[in-house]
Amino acid sequence: MLTLRDIRKSYRIGPTEVDVLKGVNLEVQQGELLSIMGQSGCGKSTLMNVIGLLDRPTSGSFMLDGAEVSYTDDDALSEIRNQRIGFVFQQYFLLSRLTALENVALPLIYRSTTGTDHHHRCMDLLKRVGMADRAHHRPNELSGGQQQRVAIARALVGSPSLILADEPTGALDTQVGGEIMDLFKILNAEEGITVVIITHDPGIARQCKRVARMQDGVILP
Amino acid sequence: MIVSANLQEAARSLLSAKQRTILALIGIVIGIGSVIAMVSVGRIVQDEALRQFKEMGTDILTIEKDFGGSPGGGPSKAPASLKLADVAAIPPACPAVAVVAPSVRGSGEISFAGKRLERAAPMAVTASFLDINKLTIREGRFLSDLDQQSQYCVIGSEVADELTKLGARPLLGSRIRVGTHLLTVIGVTSEVPTGGMRRFEPNEMIYVHITTGLRIFANAELSTIMARVRPGATNDLAREQLAAYFSRLKGPQVRITSPEEIIAQMEKQMQMFTLLLGAIGSISLIVGGVGVMNVMLVSVTERRREIGIRRALGAKRGDIRGQFLIESVILSLVGGLFGIVVGVGASWLIAHFAQWQFSLSLGAILLGVGVSSGVGIFFGFYPARQAALLDPIVALKSD
Repeated sequence: MLTLRDIRKSYRIGPTEVDVLKGVNLEVQQGELLSIMGQSGCGKSTLMNVIGLLDRPTSGSFMLDGAEVSYTDDDALSEIRNQRIGFVFQQYFLLSRLTALENVALPLIYRSTTGTDHHHRCMDLLKRVGMADRAHHRPNELSGGQQQRVAIARALVGSPSLILADEPTGALDTQVGGEIMDLFKILNAEEGITVVIITHDPGIARQCKRVARMQDGVILP
Repeated sequence: MIVSANLQEAARSLLSAKQRTILALIGIVIGIGSVIAMVSVGRIVQDEALRQFKEMGTDILTIEKDFGGSPGGGPSKAPASLKLADVAAIPPACPAVAVVAPSVRGSGEISFAGKRLERAAPMAVTASFLDINKLTIREGRFLSDLDQQSQYCVIGSEVADELTKLGARPLLGSRIRVGTHLLTVIGVTSEVPTGGMRRFEPNEMIYVHITTGLRIFANAELSTIMARVRPGATNDLAREQLAAYFSRLKGPQVRITSPEEIIAQMEKQMQMFTLLLGAIGSISLIVGGVGVMNVMLVSVTERRREIGIRRALGAKRGDIRGQFLIESVILSLVGGLFGIVVGVGASWLIAHFAQWQFSLSLGAILLGVGVSSGVGIFFGFYPARQAALLDPIVALKSD
C-alpha cells in the first residue's frame, strides 16, 4: 500500500544544503507491522513526516494506495491524513482542554460528513483501548500510558488504513510500553490495519514482523 | 458540525485565558461603548432640537432681508429697507398669513444702577411677538400696541434674576439703561428651557416696542419678520403670497424660510455632528481592535502545538483560519454586547442630566453589533492567517 521510490529530502540551513533523506526506497504491504529503526539523526523522523504527508519530499515518488501523493495540494493532503492515516506520537499530543472522549472525536470534526453516532464510535474505541471509564477525564488526569491509549483510539477513529507511530513508547516505562506494543499487535492482527512504528529501540523493533533499518538517510537493504 | 465545534472550542479557549480575554474585552467594550454613546447622544440631541423646534410651531415662516448671500451678518449695503407700514400690511395682503411679528436687534451698553449687565441683549418687537414665539409672562404685562414710542421694556427671566441680585425691588418699575436711554421694566417673561431653536435667547432679552427700538437703537433696521400661517392654509401657499407681496413692493430682496427647510438643514447639520461623534468614538474602537489582534496573536503563538496536532489530524488551513476567526469574532461580539449596554447606559445618563428625552436608537445597537463583528473579522484575520500558514511540522515541534 505504501511505495517509496528514491525519496530525497534536503533542507537549506543558512547557506548550506543538508541532505536528510538520500534516496529512500521502501515498500509496505497492506496488513504489515513494520518498524523503521535507526539512531537519532538518521532521518527517520523526516521519513515519518513524508510518509505521514506532513512534509513533501524534495524529489522521488510516494504512492499511497496506488496513487501518487507527494505533490498533491495542501487541502487534499489534509484530507488524506484525515481519512487514511492515524498518527500516534511520542508525546501523545492530546489537547489538554478536551476530555479523552472529545480528543478521540477530534479527527471527525474535520470530515465533511456529519455523523450522529460519533459518540458511540468514540466510546467503542475507548473501550477497545481499555479507557472507557476515563472518557470524561482530561489528559492531565491520566497517566502517560493512559494518554497514549487515548491517542491510539484517536488514531483509529477515522478507520485509517495506516497507523503511523513515532516512538510511541518513548516516554513510557518498559512495562507500559509493552502494553502499548501489545495493543498495536492486536490491532494489526485482528483488524489488519497496517502499522508503521518509527523507533530507535531495538527491543520495540524486535516485536514487529519486519524491521527496516535506517542509517544516514537511506534504508539499509 | 465544524462550526458548532469551533464555537465550542472558541468559548473554551477564551475562558481558559480569562485575564487576557477580559483585558481584550475592556478595549472592545470601551470602543463600542463610546461609539454607541456618541451616536445615540447625537441622535438624542437631534430629536430634542427637533422637538423643541416643533413645539414652537411648524406654521411659522421667517422672512429675512437678503444681504446678498450672507444672511444675518454684516452691515446693510442694500439701498432699500423694510418699512414698518409695509410689514403691518402683510396680513391683509396675504390671506394665508394670520399674524406677523417684525423684530429689530439692538446693540449698546446695558446697565442697571451703574452696573453693566453682560448677558442681556435688547430687541425691539411688537405685541404679536409674545404669542408667535410661545412665550408667556411671569410678572406684569407684555408690550402692547399702545406702547408705541414708549420707554417701557419687558425683560427675560435671567435678566430679572440679575436685576434682583443687584437689588431691584420691586422689579417692575426698575429702570435699565440701554445706551443713553432709561427704560422702565413693565413685565418679565417666564423662563424657557435653553437650547431651543429660536434665533435669540428669550431669557436674556430686553424687549422694547418696535417703534421705540427703531428710534433708540443705533443702525436700527427691520431685518427679521416672523409670520404665522393661518390655520387651514399651507406653508407653501403663505410663502407664495409673501413672495408675491414683497416683489410687488419693489423693496429689498427677502429670503423666506419655512420650518421644513430649517428642519432639513438642522437634520443635515445634526447628521454631520453625529458622524463626527461617531468618528471620534471609532478611534477608541480601533484601539480596542488592536487589543483583540494582540490577544489573538498571543493565542496563536501559545497554541502552535495545538495547531500542529489539528493539522496532523486532518484540519485544512481553512479550518484553522476559521477556528481563530470565530474566536476573535466571539471575543469582539461579546465585547460589543457589553459595549452596547455601556454605551446606552452612558447616553441615558447624559440625557438624564441634560434633561433631554432619552430614546433608545435601534440603529445604534445594530451598528454596535455590526461594527464589533466587523472589528473581530478585520483584526482577527491577520492572526488567523498566521495560524493557518503555520507549517504543521514546525507547529508540532514547538512547545
